[in-house]
Amino acid sequence: MPVITFGEAIRQAYREEMRRDKNVFLMGEDVGRWGSLYRSSKGLLEEFGPEQVKDTPISEAAIAGCAVGSAVLGMRPIVEIMYIDFITIAMDQIVNHAAKWHQLSNGKVRLPIVFKTQGGAGRRNSSQHSQSLENWFVNVPGLITVMPSSPYDVKGLLKSAVRDDNPVVFIEHKALYFEKGEVPEDEYLIPLGKADIKRPGKDLTIIATSWMVLFALRAAENLREQGISCEVVDPRTLWPLDKETLVRSVKKTGLCLVVTEAPAEGGWSGEASSVIHEHCFRELRKPVKRLCGLRTGIPYGPVLERQVIPSEASIMHAARELVSVETKVDDGN
Amino acid sequence: MSEVSLKTLYREMLLLRRFDELCLQLKMKDLVYSGYHPYEGQEAVAVGFCGALRKEDILLSTHRPHGHAAAKGCSLEAVLSEMMGRRTGCSGGLGGGMQYLDAENNFFCGSVVGSNLPIATGFGLAIKQQKLDRVCLCLFGDGASNTGAFHEALNLAAIWKLPILFVCENNQFAEAMPVWEFVACERISMRARGYGLEEITVDGNDVEETRRVALALIERIRRGEGPFLVEALTYRIRGHYVGDPEATYRSRQEVDGWREKEPLKRAQEKLLQSGLPPAALEEMDQATKDRMETLQAWALAQEFPSLEQAIDHVYVAFADGRNACQ
Repeated sequence: MPVITFGEAIRQAYREEMRRDKNVFLMGEDVGRWGSLYRSSKGLLEEFGPEQVKDTPISEAAIAGCAVGSAVLGMRPIVEIMYIDFITIAMDQIVNHAAKWHQLSNGKVRLPIVFKTQGGAGRRNSSQHSQSLENWFVNVPGLITVMPSSPYDVKGLLKSAVRDDNPVVFIEHKALYFEKGEVPEDEYLIPLGKADIKRPGKDLTIIATSWMVLFALRAAENLREQGISCEVVDPRTLWPLDKETLVRSVKKTGLCLVVTEAPAEGGWSGEASSVIHEHCFRELRKPVKRLCGLRTGIPYGPVLERQVIPSEASIMHAARELVSVETKVDDGN
Repeated sequence: MSEVSLKTLYREMLLLRRFDELCLQLKMKDLVYSGYHPYEGQEAVAVGFCGALRKEDILLSTHRPHGHAAAKGCSLEAVLSEMMGRRTGCSGGLGGGMQYLDAENNFFCGSVVGSNLPIATGFGLAIKQQKLDRVCLCLFGDGASNTGAFHEALNLAAIWKLPILFVCENNQFAEAMPVWEFVACERISMRARGYGLEEITVDGNDVEETRRVALALIERIRRGEGPFLVEALTYRIRGHYVGDPEATYRSRQEVDGWREKEPLKRAQEKLLQSGLPPAALEEMDQATKDRMETLQAWALAQEFPSLEQAIDHVYVAFADGRNACQ
């Protein structure tokens, strides 16, 4: 199976969907000439022309609204918001219009829009270019929120998002674009709202999102050497949430750690934790533990920005704590 | 424009006026629930511009939409029952008087000021790219012209040469903020220059002028000369909403002065001067009033939506049948 980067997987998804359906088009700042900030649309302007690949002014509100109007007339826009931090400018269109019009039209109007953006720390960009704002969208009825963690997932999920008739907020992570992974040559789709077990295990479930999945997998590998078997579950879609897969895993392991880069307070990590408590109360041997970004703006520079978000080491520590506390209780008996 | 045409335009304005009055009465009886934004005095803008559209043309309206909707040809039954929260409303009674969609009549409105301008660019883009013989009319107020969305949308529409007619319905007030205090330039239409567009101002209380300008610009847009930005000068005779503290921002004398210049009165005078017998005007008025009575009786008999309907169309089901609502 070919090994390609996350960015190349996005490009393949774009290319396949734009070829399949001329109504699919990409617009955003520098998606054409530059081929997007991380080059995920490189070469597409030449291949598909300006009707399907549109460079736009720095006008996030206008292009998000442009997506709403064009979608009503049957187009399938992919709007690229260069940094999720800039999506603040487009929030009115996403929250008040894209998320509402299907319902306000009695189901007659459809909004097949992908609001595609990237977030997170890891590239030393400080607090206005590094946020994890996914929680806002999870809380808005009418929106789908996707956060892929691998080249295979981003391709299959992006293709599904483009074909779906709901507005989808599709959040990549800036530290993932150059990660490599196996992606089959044959076409495939990954359904929205389906979690994936990235690593099977039996002692502890680690639910992690986006870039944190990579840290969780490395931590799990190290923990295996220490005799702890971790199951790593990636929800892939934050809403709708694949509760079934998450609950099944925790019912099996009896312990759960939720890892997100976003701060814990008022966030999706609390939602995931609550779902586990509600459905696995009898099986849980300890309360769910959350490991999240600190409640601060992402600080500048390579050292501090890593210290305010979960790391391989902090995940290992939290996992050992969950398991060892359990062991102590057992010893006490 | 011939006399017959003015009579027709007058009849349309009269319909909007009586409809507005009916809505107001229902608001006073608490049968219209949300804030009600009266349209009295602005009818020549709706009839002139919205009435110039074909059914397939797109109309993006505002938080004060009922006059625009009526002039576009949306059913008054659907508009009124929406305002009254009944299931026969345009949005099934889930949107209310400030935000409803009538997809069949290509009518869309919303209650966030300025938000419809960016959406217009999307309709314009789709029309242009799919080579459709349609235009998009986007109405907004003087208040919306102060939003960032106004600037972003006008610029995008202008650089992409989109088939959109932007009409600023300047009724002199953004809620309680008078335009002369809160808009930095003398005419909002002057802002068109900043986007490389013509500066066009019309008397928004002269229905013949609004219709003439609308038809001319729509024709030019169909030929690919769009977009255009027009400022239509009018006056909001009533408050921003029913019962707003009007004395904080204008005098009774000012309002009375504008009542003399309101569009129905002007059209009436012109019709009478041209020889239309007063009885013909009364006949029209009676017919409109009769229609409003029938409309009210019908609307009062309509049912309210159920809780099931309130959660029915939050999401489109996925291809495999799952629904993200659960």
